[in-house]
Amino acid sequence: MNKPLNQAAVLEELHHYIGGTEIAGSSGRYGDIYNPALGSVKARVPFATAAEVSAAVDAAQKAFPAWAATPPLRRARVMFRFKELLDAHADKLAAIVTSEHGKVLSDARGEVTRGIEVVEFACGIPQLLKGEYTEQVGTGVDSYSVRQPLGICAGITPFNFPVMVPMWMFPVAIACGNTFILKPSERDPSASLYLAQLLKEAGLPDGVFNVIHGDKIAVDALLNESRIAAVSFVGSTPIAEYIYRTGTASGKRVQALGGAKTIWS
Amino acid sequence: MPDADLEQAVDALIGAAYGSAGERCMAISVAVAVGNVADKLVEKLAERAKALKIDTGTSDAAEMGPLVTRQHLDKVRGYVDLGVKEGAKLVVDGRGLKVKGYENGFFLGGCLFDQVKPDMTIYREEVFGPVLAITRVPDFESAVELVNKHEFGNGVSLFTRDGDCAREFATRIQIGMVGINVPIPVPMAFHSFGGWKRSLFGDHYAYGPEGVRFYTHLKTVTTRWPTGIRKGAEFIMPTMK
Repeated sequence: MNKPLNQAAVLEELHHYIGGTEIAGSSGRYGDIYNPALGSVKARVPFATAAEVSAAVDAAQKAFPAWAATPPLRRARVMFRFKELLDAHADKLAAIVTSEHGKVLSDARGEVTRGIEVVEFACGIPQLLKGEYTEQVGTGVDSYSVRQPLGICAGITPFNFPVMVPMWMFPVAIACGNTFILKPSERDPSASLYLAQLLKEAGLPDGVFNVIHGDKIAVDALLNESRIAAVSFVGSTPIAEYIYRTGTASGKRVQALGGAKTIWS
Repeated sequence: MPDADLEQAVDALIGAAYGSAGERCMAISVAVAVGNVADKLVEKLAERAKALKIDTGTSDAAEMGPLVTRQHLDKVRGYVDLGVKEGAKLVVDGRGLKVKGYENGFFLGGCLFDQVKPDMTIYREEVFGPVLAITRVPDFESAVELVNKHEFGNGVSLFTRDGDCAREFATRIQIGMVGINVPIPVPMAFHSFGGWKRSLFGDHYAYGPEGVRFYTHLKTVTTRWPTGIRKGAEFIMPTMK
């Protein structure tokens, strides 16, 4: 990941991660990933076709019934193992972030920690999914409420927090019993693939977590895919509004977090 | 606020404005200086912004690294040019920065603007870089009004020693995430993250209990069980009843 760049050598090429398998890109379209301190290209990332997005949806759809039927306690155990692996490999993750994003290592380590905190929260999923029960809502009539997973969820994430923002989304989504497709920023996508590897090591079944790289073609394919139930997005306001309008128009549940001006007084 | 602990506030501002080269949606992009605090604040901030240690992210001493791409660097630099053109006072100019041994890296030094007005582009738009803008207002009321008038509503922080002022601010401010003497009020994992207005589209915030609601359907089952077997065995044909 951090080997010095030799322009003459063949550039490292990233892959999609579908159904627990590394899949080489087939579109012939690529994005350059820079080391921003050096100003040079360190790797290239394939941009997915709509068919590749569809293959990821197939994998997520296939994995969903068994994962949704897995008791929350067992889903939580995968999260506990994932957390242990994240703790053990936090420095490696931070180094990947710094090499592609450019933020200082201590800051990158900080974002990994904020991500781990969401995994720790997701470890409590049996308690979080506990329902409500009312006896005698009418004579001889009882009522209870439960929370059930939606199905396939997608996350589209920005360049500024390549570990933390994806981890705002998929640990909770997966712990709730959903399957997930992540489309990370094409500018610093390597961290997502490393997270996929750690999830597999933690015992997450294949197809529950998938990574698709790409640009607007991949994003539109996700938004227009009728089998995807929900989309989470973090990015700029114009794109957030586009994601919200397009996603909700095809009946999806959408949370699109846009830009900001943080003001201090 | 004029009564804030200035040293502490300057520390907080420097970290929140220039940490991660300002590439955070919760980075401080505008500091609203209330009353007579502005001159002292700008002086102290300028001193610190000039002294920022900028190097590759892998250097232990670095406080700030490069921006993510050349394209983004050009965009942020363009905002700084525009700020100057629109009449803001550029107190610290980071545009000329070169980092030794990394001359091709996407570096930009910390920039500090004073006298930024609400109609200027650098006030209205998200710069997403190491650029801090100071806007001066006469009092608390105008600070609240200024913040509430902005189309975005992600994060805001108030620095003060006055509990009543802090409480009034937290109640009236139309922003999703509020810090009181805390520069980057990103909620912890067991709360939820989200802004108001044009900072969030959708009905649920991210992670925490809101995340659980977003990623699940609610189902409510209402049940009635007619009297059955506990009434005992029946010995006549059902049709005889």
